[in-house]
Amino acid sequence: MALEGQARAKFLCDAERCIECNACVTACKNEHEVPWGINRRRVVTIEDGKPGERSISVACMHCSDAPCMAVCPTDCFYQTDDGVVLHSKDLCIGCGYCFYACPFGAPQFPQAGNFGSRGKMDKCTFCAGGPEEDNSTAEFNKYGRNRIAEGKLPICAEMCSTKALLAGDGNEVADIYRQRVVSRGFGSGAWGWGTAYEKKGA
Amino acid sequence: MNFKIFGAAVFTLATLLLNPVWAEESPAVDRTSTGGAQTLEDIMARQAQLEVDETFRSENLGDPSNAAPISDQLGTRGGRSDADIWRGVRYNEIDPSTQVRGPAVDVLIQDGGMPWYKLREGPVITYGGSAILGFVLLLVVFYFVRGKIRIEGGPAGITIERFKAIERFGHWLLAGSFIALALTGLITLMGRSFLIPVIGHEAFATLAVGSKWIHNNISWAFMLGLVMTFCMWLVHNIPNKLDWQWIKAGGGIFTKSHPPAKRFNAGQKIVFWTVMVLGFSVSLSGLSLLFPFEIPMFAETFGVMNSILGTDFPTVLAPHEEMQYANLWHSVIAFLMMLAIIAHIYIGTVGMEGAFDAMGNGQVDLEWARQHHNLWVDEVQAKQAKQGKGESS
Amino acid sequence: MLRKKTNGVAKGSRAGSLLSSLAAKTMDRRGFLAASGITVGGLAALSLPSARVEAATPSTGGGEIVRKKSVCTHCSVGCTVEAEVQNGVWTGQEPGWDSPFNMGAHCAKGAAVREHAHNDRRLKYPMKMVNGQWQKISWDQAINEIGDKMMQIREESGPDSVYWLGSAKHNNEQSYLFRKFAAYWGTNNVDHQARICHSTTVAGVANTWGYGAMTNSYNDIHNSKAIFVIGGNPAEAHPVSLLHILKAKEQNNAPLIVCDPRFTRTAAHADEYVRLRPGSDVALVWGILWHIFENKWEDQEFIRTRVYGMDDIREEVKRWNPTEVERVTGVPGAQLERVSRTLANNRPGTVIWCMGGTQHSNGNNNTRAYCILQLALGNMGVAGGGTNIFRGHDNVQGATDLGVLADTLPGYYGLSDGAWAHWARVWDEDLDWLKGRFPSFDKNGKTLAMMNENGITVSRWIDGVLEAKENLDQPDNTRAMVLWGHAPNSQTRMLEMKEAMEKLDLLVVVDPFPTVSAVLHDRKEGAYLLPATTQFETTGSVTASNRSLQWREKIFEPLFDSKVDHEIMKLFADKFGFTDRMFRNIAIEGDEPVIEDITREFNRGMWTIGYTGQSPERLKKHMAYQHHFDRTTLRAMGGPCDGDIYGMPWPCWGTPEMNHPGTPVLYDLSVPVSKGGLTFRARFGVERDGVNLLADGVYSKNSEIKDGYPEFTMQMLMDLGWDKDLTAEERASIDAVAGPETNWKTDLSGGIQRVAIKHECAPFGNAKARTIVWNFPDPVPLHREPLYTTRRDLVEDYPTYADKQFWRVPTLYESIQKKDFSKDFPIILTSGRLVEYEGGGDETRSNPWLAELQQDMFIEVNTRDANNLNIRDGKDVWVSGPEGGRIRVKAMVTERVGEGVAFMPFHFGGHLEGKDLRDKYPKGSDPYVLGESTNTIQTYGYDSVTQMQETKATLCSIMPA
Repeated sequence: MALEGQARAKFLCDAERCIECNACVTACKNEHEVPWGINRRRVVTIEDGKPGERSISVACMHCSDAPCMAVCPTDCFYQTDDGVVLHSKDLCIGCGYCFYACPFGAPQFPQAGNFGSRGKMDKCTFCAGGPEEDNSTAEFNKYGRNRIAEGKLPICAEMCSTKALLAGDGNEVADIYRQRVVSRGFGSGAWGWGTAYEKKGA
Repeated sequence: MNFKIFGAAVFTLATLLLNPVWAEESPAVDRTSTGGAQTLEDIMARQAQLEVDETFRSENLGDPSNAAPISDQLGTRGGRSDADIWRGVRYNEIDPSTQVRGPAVDVLIQDGGMPWYKLREGPVITYGGSAILGFVLLLVVFYFVRGKIRIEGGPAGITIERFKAIERFGHWLLAGSFIALALTGLITLMGRSFLIPVIGHEAFATLAVGSKWIHNNISWAFMLGLVMTFCMWLVHNIPNKLDWQWIKAGGGIFTKSHPPAKRFNAGQKIVFWTVMVLGFSVSLSGLSLLFPFEIPMFAETFGVMNSILGTDFPTVLAPHEEMQYANLWHSVIAFLMMLAIIAHIYIGTVGMEGAFDAMGNGQVDLEWARQHHNLWVDEVQAKQAKQGKGESS
Repeated sequence: MLRKKTNGVAKGSRAGSLLSSLAAKTMDRRGFLAASGITVGGLAALSLPSARVEAATPSTGGGEIVRKKSVCTHCSVGCTVEAEVQNGVWTGQEPGWDSPFNMGAHCAKGAAVREHAHNDRRLKYPMKMVNGQWQKISWDQAINEIGDKMMQIREESGPDSVYWLGSAKHNNEQSYLFRKFAAYWGTNNVDHQARICHSTTVAGVANTWGYGAMTNSYNDIHNSKAIFVIGGNPAEAHPVSLLHILKAKEQNNAPLIVCDPRFTRTAAHADEYVRLRPGSDVALVWGILWHIFENKWEDQEFIRTRVYGMDDIREEVKRWNPTEVERVTGVPGAQLERVSRTLANNRPGTVIWCMGGTQHSNGNNNTRAYCILQLALGNMGVAGGGTNIFRGHDNVQGATDLGVLADTLPGYYGLSDGAWAHWARVWDEDLDWLKGRFPSFDKNGKTLAMMNENGITVSRWIDGVLEAKENLDQPDNTRAMVLWGHAPNSQTRMLEMKEAMEKLDLLVVVDPFPTVSAVLHDRKEGAYLLPATTQFETTGSVTASNRSLQWREKIFEPLFDSKVDHEIMKLFADKFGFTDRMFRNIAIEGDEPVIEDITREFNRGMWTIGYTGQSPERLKKHMAYQHHFDRTTLRAMGGPCDGDIYGMPWPCWGTPEMNHPGTPVLYDLSVPVSKGGLTFRARFGVERDGVNLLADGVYSKNSEIKDGYPEFTMQMLMDLGWDKDLTAEERASIDAVAGPETNWKTDLSGGIQRVAIKHECAPFGNAKARTIVWNFPDPVPLHREPLYTTRRDLVEDYPTYADKQFWRVPTLYESIQKKDFSKDFPIILTSGRLVEYEGGGDETRSNPWLAELQQDMFIEVNTRDANNLNIRDGKDVWVSGPEGGRIRVKAMVTERVGEGVAFMPFHFGGHLEGKDLRDKYPKGSDPYVLGESTNTIQTYGYDSVTQMQETKATLCSIMPA
């Protein structure tokens, strides 16, 4: 349940603005030195090359009631009181159950050890690091930078080329998006514009 | 292959538990006021845990085909509004492309996770766990009622070789690895609920890492043992009419009689086949979990089933869903197998005098053998007699 | 769950309270934010007490963090890169919130530039090719061996046999120094990528109204009521520009119209997409004008007062009725009618174009046609209007302005004796000594002073090597080639280039990366690789597409054994023995010339385009106070830069002391010249055939001359009686130059400019823009079929030019076009950019964060063609070109390209005709991703004015591999 008067960290990607430039992806790699093959964030395109082409950038959604937290056999996830879902790589055993459970394919696993077996899970931290002491080397090595503790918001959103990707308190994000949709008026993202447009019949 | 049938079984079980009788259908909702969009009733119904028919959303995805031609004004927008697109994303009804490479990157949303989780935390742990406990209890009771099955007239003192070293090796390889796998499996499945509260997160994490390592590696020993025993004992385990008599006589467990049996009696054959079938099934699902994304099985299985049984199980599964099925299936079968093995262990040890020696040193008491495997004893002795003649001449 | 939440709180509370407080802080400015499209992140970061931000403690432990500002080296938007440096190591990259250009935003490339700081694929040491193997050598050995060889070639064949190929990756100081270096060496065989990117733009636009550059700015697009993009894909080539374009689209409801053969990612966000046949731009624009003229939608008053020759255009446009336009371009008349109405009803609208328009054999016609469209609509010289030409590289505008070109000295002065005299004065150089550096050359009877002759262009250097000596307008073939920051795979005819590279006596590559030049050829000897630094390892000014200059700080010390470009130039100058002359006014520390001194030197000479007011001090001040500049007008509000335009977009008239703010919008009459207003330049005389070429009764705000007027000279000041305003020193300096003949371009004191502007007049006069360029092959822009075309029927009606000799080399047109290749090569091939890579891609393909996202070279093929050719998506295909050569690439079957058209990105290299050349790279310097280059099969074809290569419309055939 939403905690009233409480900020809840959320991402929102404005499909009308996303131009699939992948800045969010490389910014994330840059900030956290994420190795080749691990993608905490990805940009996906719908109707690629056809009318109606839209792109969205997806990563961990930091669910309010996160399935990954529920299924983890070692209970290694925790949620900050802004609703950022984090995990402890010390507790993680790389079983992959969070990947089965996650609706968005957020958990990433480095190939490790024998056969296909997975290494410790890695995922988007909303740039909030992990359980270690804020901005400690240990934290950086395991989870990357802790921008939240530095008073900043996630780098992917901050560097987004068209400000399509919004991050921060869910209410703030929602308000900004609402204002955009209003200022666009119909003809853009508004619900059912297509039919509305044909009605106008221009 | 038989594992497919089991797959079906698990799936039906799953579907049963997922559409539980206690979640009754929500009343039909009139959505004209919202022009087909979600209404308050829908939301309330969902919150009330009612079964809401979501097709009004999952099928309202706009229509790219009726989009304006590209050279028309706004022809670039296609036939979908953002709302349509998000619904498409929600129900994974769009096939997106991405430059990020990796498994399942093009699955935007799969919502099998929670049902899988509920099934696992609920029925699998509860029924599975209680079944084992219950069964053990049952055997204890049985032991006190029936007591140890003794060799009538006591042992003859002369022994006869029942299992060669290689056979015993195969058996113990299988048995040992199975016990290790069972225990580590149980730790992974139930540890969070039962161990963490006791020993805490850190200690359990260490235990769990170990369990994972053992489980992943010992599994190969298990599969080897399975193959060995299968090859060595298949011939002796082909059912014949003797088995029928034996079964009619209930194996003489309750009556003090001893129905005739060759090297393996029907009871042992049942154990054999159970272990083989369940063992291969559990191994296959285990492999597909051990090599994620590489050995998907269920979509294919369901396809076959649909064609045979005319069912309509999903034949397109996201890798996540494949693994959910494989995982469920792996644990359910493992539980069945544990039950069978517990029974086997009972009868092979405390349950029957002289039985253990067969797998201990391989030598069994002649009298015991006469009582339980008379036909086999005759065969063996006939053979020895022939050899004996040969030697004397 | 609950249990977990609570221990979550225990662990995570620190973050919690903070984020909520951020949220609270953002409330007040949210509206503005949403409007200007900055993220919550932006807000939050902005609204934080800076102390909080600085509290950022190093993630790699130890040493305090220093913030350095540089500018992204990938495209011309000029995004500020904010680096966190710790003990000299570049440890972090933060959004440059203060920059009015990018407001914190980056694209994939910009967000990954920190990779430069620890890129292990860099060229690490000077290398020499010794019997086929790259061998590490010392700088001294390299400079000596190369220098000796060059001097020997100079002895035998003259200075013109050494070709100095410069770079748009150099900063302004290095570009200027490079051009000066070539002059001191004694050749005009110096050029850079602008030739193959926007040379047709510069020529076409400058000849229309005076200056060859983007007239407004990215930010000014905020004011546009309509946005017309043709032959450009900013969503991939200039992603951050979409920040500005989408703002206009959303807030002004400005229709976004994209004309392109390809349904680009930009088109995906457009309101209107016009799919034209590659190479039919002129026809398309005339088609639009046809409707505009038909319906009298043109701006008659604007045309009357400020445009020359529109009637001749009307004549030509009459032919382009909807039927004919559809026949040539394939665009339905109804759509163009709607586009025309949209443009007419939404003024001012801006026109944006890129290489899709420029890279054609009639590219200069295209660019002029675009200009004429804007002139007809009266969209020039207004905020929100203009021709917003997006340049390609980070400093291609600067390198062009500073004359790294075969046809001009810095500042577009040309190569006339006057131009040389002017620069000799700036350099305090003995003009006769300079003349002595250049040979003269007898070509069928007449003697050419090579000093005044255009050099060979970068697009044609291979012909300088391969062409028979007697066909060249220079003493001998090109024998030594210096590729100083240039990717050869961005140029067509690569198989011939391979041959040329092998025929050379000496091949020198100066670059941070080995580039394809290191592996393309099969040389055994006589090739050198010299490691230069990136721009993050040096300082200096860089000119963004909107003519604004920004100052880069040095972020970290040169890596490995690499040296900054200006130091390498100095080392060669030492070797050739003209260091003391060349660096007369430039201090040298160690071996490194002082950048600021170089800036000041070109400040003293660049009067033509107003590169004179941007002193290093002013530039650094602008960088320090970025946040004082308005994000739409770019004008500083208060503070030490009060009234300045960010980066002082040229022309920034007069001396730095004069404090001109720079010119945000070119040719804007509504603003006084002293505040950044401007008129059309009087560049083409005062009258032609009795028709007045000067502006007709219109003038910039507060101008004391209330009509058109010619460019200012000392004589004119005297006639106006304004010479009294000159100071004694100014007058002295003017007399020293040429007395009354001294004009605003040659007056080293800047007095003439100062006085003209004092009276609010534009130093370069006040004239009309011209729609007919009588000194060009096509005075009125004409549609001409590409050299390689499938439309033989159109070759009849719209043939290309006759073969001719210019820029020292014979150039073929009709003799190629008259051959019919369309049977064997039925598919039109065009090329373009990907967002992850840039240019030849040697740099970006060596960056793992980028390379991971584009691992295979591919060709986009239309679904119908694919099925007809039995091509499967994702499978390999062979693509062959009409001049021979074939490449093996992955097929991407898509509707993005129209039927009969195929597209390939041009960033790949390192494979040649199916052969992987990875092992030919110096050990450990091979890029992560290699691939076939589209230019291996791209063909002949050069613009009739500038020798721009024709890459956007050629032919190919595709078959499954």
